[in-house]
Amino acid sequence: MNQADFIALRTPLLVLLAVLLVAAAAVYSTEQIKASAQRQMAQQEGRLKEARTRLQKSGDEKDIIVRYRDAFRALERAGFVGEEKRINWLDGLRLTNQQADLFGVDYEISAQKRYRHAAALEPGQARLYESTMRLRFRLLHEEDLLRFFALLERQNVGIFHLDQCDMRRIDTRGVIRYQPNLSVECELSWITARVPPAGGPK
Amino acid sequence: MARKLLIGISAQGATVARRRGNRIAECEVFASDESGYAAFREYLTTCEYIPASLMVDTVEEDYRFETLPHAFGSDRAQMVTRKLRQHYRNTSYVTSWLLGRDTSKRRDDRFLFSALTNPELIDEWLKAVIARGLPVAGIFLLPMVSAALPQKLDIKAGNLLIVAQHSGGLRLTFFRDRQFRLSRLTRGDNGKSSDRARFFGEEISNTRLYLHALRTMTLDEQLTVLLLDRQDDLVDVAAAVARDNPSVDCVRIGRNELSTRLGVSESLLDISPYVIYLQLLGFGASQSNLAPPSVTVGYKRHQARRAIYGATAAIALGAAIWAGADLVKTWELRGAEELAARDTAQLSAQYLQITRRFPAAPASAESLKRTVEIAQTLREEARTPRAMMSVISRALQSSPTVVIRDFAWKYGTSEIEVENRSARAAETAAPAAPVFDPRMQPKPALVRKQSALIEGEIRPFRGDYRDAIDTINGFADRIAKDPSVAEVRVVKLPLNVNPTLQLSGNTLDNPERQTGTADFELLVVFRPNV
Repeated sequence: MNQADFIALRTPLLVLLAVLLVAAAAVYSTEQIKASAQRQMAQQEGRLKEARTRLQKSGDEKDIIVRYRDAFRALERAGFVGEEKRINWLDGLRLTNQQADLFGVDYEISAQKRYRHAAALEPGQARLYESTMRLRFRLLHEEDLLRFFALLERQNVGIFHLDQCDMRRIDTRGVIRYQPNLSVECELSWITARVPPAGGPK
Repeated sequence: MARKLLIGISAQGATVARRRGNRIAECEVFASDESGYAAFREYLTTCEYIPASLMVDTVEEDYRFETLPHAFGSDRAQMVTRKLRQHYRNTSYVTSWLLGRDTSKRRDDRFLFSALTNPELIDEWLKAVIARGLPVAGIFLLPMVSAALPQKLDIKAGNLLIVAQHSGGLRLTFFRDRQFRLSRLTRGDNGKSSDRARFFGEEISNTRLYLHALRTMTLDEQLTVLLLDRQDDLVDVAAAVARDNPSVDCVRIGRNELSTRLGVSESLLDISPYVIYLQLLGFGASQSNLAPPSVTVGYKRHQARRAIYGATAAIALGAAIWAGADLVKTWELRGAEELAARDTAQLSAQYLQITRRFPAAPASAESLKRTVEIAQTLREEARTPRAMMSVISRALQSSPTVVIRDFAWKYGTSEIEVENRSARAAETAAPAAPVFDPRMQPKPALVRKQSALIEGEIRPFRGDYRDAIDTINGFADRIAKDPSVAEVRVVKLPLNVNPTLQLSGNTLDNPERQTGTADFELLVVFRPNV
């Protein structure tokens, strides 16, 4: 193509370029609009499906409420559901210490945080939290350790997981009298759940 | 259909037809003199920018059949150009037409070379067209254009001679199997009916003799003579030719039939005999374009412009269809979405109505169930050191010399730290609180295991390391036999026999006296989720 050819074809080439740009822009924008509409449609279909399923299962839902309502209330009372009740834990510790006839329990509670293993439990709308409690106390006998935690659980002040314990023998120099032989340091996690009320966010 | 300007040039003048759509719309004749040229130039000023095709009817034409060695591409083009230059030195209006391959052993290429040997005939007309700025599509010889006539008139004769009276004389063009072979333009018709029949008959006979001489066709072969009678005045001629030549099949195509078959109005046929050929020329590009590239450059640009505008229109149309389809689809989606939203609202309202009859509950049914199940799972997953202590106690019963000083236990996703006990709490604090994301894939069930680190010693120990180590190993073996235990590892032994380390002690054998200590450390790991 020589210069004369180019001059002769300049206008149609410019028109072609302009039309190409406009066409590309038009196609791109309408594709975007369509994709957005498809996304919204997919979301709406999901909501419709959910609503349909919910309606179909409304009978089951009633049965579930009847079946689990009391157990849920019990968990609320026990302190598992709702805001954590540290004062109940401390009362529980105090009572356990008395009932186990120990030499006192030192405690230290960390700040509350999201429960590490929540995802494995698939909690749905509920949110799980944990507060780590570090305990230090002394025992006469190894068996007292198990008895202590059995009694603590029986206080029904929440759900806890014992994460680790370190039990060390105290050197008593062979003296036989009523005194602690073992020092114990344990870590446990108090786990609580926050559940949105009925009719709350789905 | 594109518009075209069709110009038929002869020694007597030019016939100019303007074609619109599929038909010739108007036709004018200009004489071959100064006044005719001036009128032609004046006429061209009324023409818009349309391509022009020129057709020439003249005796100053030449046709040659040539065979050239078979070649391709530029080789063939160079060979043909060289041959054309040899034959026609004085004209630039030359062309070649590849007819096919020879049947001989070499299978050479057969060409028809044709030329307008008197370029001056068209100079004035062509200059006027170029001066007007019209693109010249091509320059063709009339016999080449008439090659399309048998097909248009549906004449299937093997040997066909088209005979027509033109302004310059009688044109006889011979086709064999619809392939051009020969054309002559003769002079001498005086217009009288009796003389005309004789004249036609003589020229047809002369042509047959010539064809016989050229060995193109023998005199015995059947020949179809096609008389183009645009003014319906050759009826007697056709009858005379048929009568005088038994081996000739004379077919006369009259005015009405020409008009019908070719799509030319009868009034236009009156104007010029070239209207027939100009109509054929308008149907499409004929073979054997004589125009050199310098003449057709404008037409090439015109075609390029048309192609670009065509592509532009196609792109615009395609984009419009695409965008339109997208918008229609979007509109349909919006409609469907609105419908789905209405259905959702209706179902939600029904659900709400049903839930009003539900017993009062502090949370949704799903939350109630899930929360209770989670609490149950958490309780089931809770562990104490009881199982680990039981296993170790059972192992201790057979080892009275083993004394436990420290028992560290852990229930977690990782084992208890061995090296740095003080850092054992790290595991409980290390993982960041996961953020709940409903898009995340569900994680596999949590796998935790119990592990314990036992620090102890052999008491009493009187320096017999072998015995102490055997006792420790025996203790470890008994622990390992428990089905809950996945692994027992002796982390530390009383004596480190590593040859790279220094070793010292006392070998005094005194049963009453303790000699040093025999400390050890054992790591016990339970199977997961025990």
